[in-house]
Amino acid sequence: MRTNKIIVAAAILALGLLAVPLYFTSTFILHMFTLVFFYIALTAAWNIPAFGGKFSLGHAAFFGLGAYAASILYVKYGISPLIGIFAGTVCAMLGGVILSFPLIRLKGPFFTLASIAFAEVLRMVAIDWRSMTNGSVGLNIPFKPGWLNLTFTSGMPFYYIALGLAVLVILLAWWIRSSALGYHLRAAAADEDAAKALGINTAKSHFFALMWSSGLTGMIAVFYVFYNYVLEPGTAFSMDLFSLQPAMNGIIGGMGTVWGPVIGAIIMTPLGEFLRFYLGTIQQGLNFVVYGLMLIAVVNFVPGGIVSLMAPWFKKKKSGESSARDN
Amino acid sequence: MDDLLVVRNLTKNFGGLAAVSEVSFEVRRGEILGLIGPNGAGKTTLFNLISGLLASNQGSIKLEGEDLTKMPPYRRSAMGVGRTFQVVRPFDMTVLENVMVPIFTHYKSAKEAKGKAYEILEMVRLENMADSMPSSLTLAQRKRIEVARALATKPKLLLLDEVLAGLNPSEVAENLPLIRQVRDSGVTILFIEHLMDAMMAISERVLVMDQGALIACGTPDEVTSDQCVITAYLGEEAPEC
Repeated sequence: MRTNKIIVAAAILALGLLAVPLYFTSTFILHMFTLVFFYIALTAAWNIPAFGGKFSLGHAAFFGLGAYAASILYVKYGISPLIGIFAGTVCAMLGGVILSFPLIRLKGPFFTLASIAFAEVLRMVAIDWRSMTNGSVGLNIPFKPGWLNLTFTSGMPFYYIALGLAVLVILLAWWIRSSALGYHLRAAAADEDAAKALGINTAKSHFFALMWSSGLTGMIAVFYVFYNYVLEPGTAFSMDLFSLQPAMNGIIGGMGTVWGPVIGAIIMTPLGEFLRFYLGTIQQGLNFVVYGLMLIAVVNFVPGGIVSLMAPWFKKKKSGESSARDN
Repeated sequence: MDDLLVVRNLTKNFGGLAAVSEVSFEVRRGEILGLIGPNGAGKTTLFNLISGLLASNQGSIKLEGEDLTKMPPYRRSAMGVGRTFQVVRPFDMTVLENVMVPIFTHYKSAKEAKGKAYEILEMVRLENMADSMPSSLTLAQRKRIEVARALATKPKLLLLDEVLAGLNPSEVAENLPLIRQVRDSGVTILFIEHLMDAMMAISERVLVMDQGALIACGTPDEVTSDQCVITAYLGEEAPEC
């Protein structure tokens, strides 16, 4: 009965989302939806290492690597972004490999700090490696519509692409969390020593989590760049947009859960755009003040994120909970 | 009886302090070996050295002749060293899932892991609590989750760190037979305990540590009449040890 209801609700939601571009022709609304989907995907990818308690503020590194790999291949060598998707994924994963060696064994804030440094270093490289990246000027994706070039005359294809990405990453995150890797990550997050003593190679688990996370982030980045046509170091390796924002969404929605990133991205993306538009024009940076206050409020009053408030609706009745003592 | 675990000259220094110094002993296959000593004697440090959470400064640890000394903890677990922790900190997931965590190192399918975990929960009599969160259980039950998790690694040698501490007498009476039952299922046990009655009732041999060194080894009766042990516990003027 319950599962039937869930399937019906999911089907209605899916049909509704598929129909949105047919009824809302306003480019603004379509753009808003697309952006939300991109951020759901980015946040869900960011969240995979968080299953194991690893809090990254350097995912802009993977985003930038993926974005630059595909753009350079296309702009400089004329190679289709459809191949660029794979190149971007692999480059971002290589970034993940590099980051994993020094960092996977660092705990708590030290991992986080090092991840920030990693992204910043890559941003500097992108600025200085002019022959490849055009430096601060950046790269422009030429407007040549066609599937092979991932360039379209309307916003509709990217709406569906972003929706597909969001669904894909959510499903992967759900699958990882309920697999052996997911259990090992959750164990490591709760008690690293106990997990090791139980035979878990925790370093390996964190490494695989980072591989999934970095690869997916790089892949999403490729689509994002072709959606936006432009790429420069400040944006591609932007701490605000691709390191802080996914982390923010994750904390507010609920870190280390499957649905937290979804809820976080749905709330924070439109809010972020709204705040940037209204408050950002009054005084630059004012929107971040609101962000900061929200963050403080959530961390203090709802440490599990918004998803923890919604948990009672979803939870099945626990059978054994009533009798705390056995026989 | 053959030796399952052989420890030789094991030493661990924290700065200038020798937490474990020159400790040598054997654990015989199939026995229940107790480890006692005053607070700060180095018992838990010894467990951390055997399970690999701490690296030793010198000495060797061999399980069935295989040298574990340089192995990371997860490999020692695979070799057959299981352990529980003095402070129980179950993972934030259901009781069944807690036990599934180590099983997932052998079985990749969640369905199989669930089945195996359920069998182990039956052994420690927690099968009715399978879907509960550990936080809703009593301390005695949470200690049994620890034991169940450790058993799920299929240990040859199980290191139990104060699985009876903090329990009331009826809970002790409830959990004590479990230790014997685990041994009877073919697992050798080395356990730390402060409850002397329980320790004496269940262990065949007892090791005594004081200030990082092993000061006595023998049957419970031998150990309790040993002058050095009495001194270590009661702090009398020491005769020649």
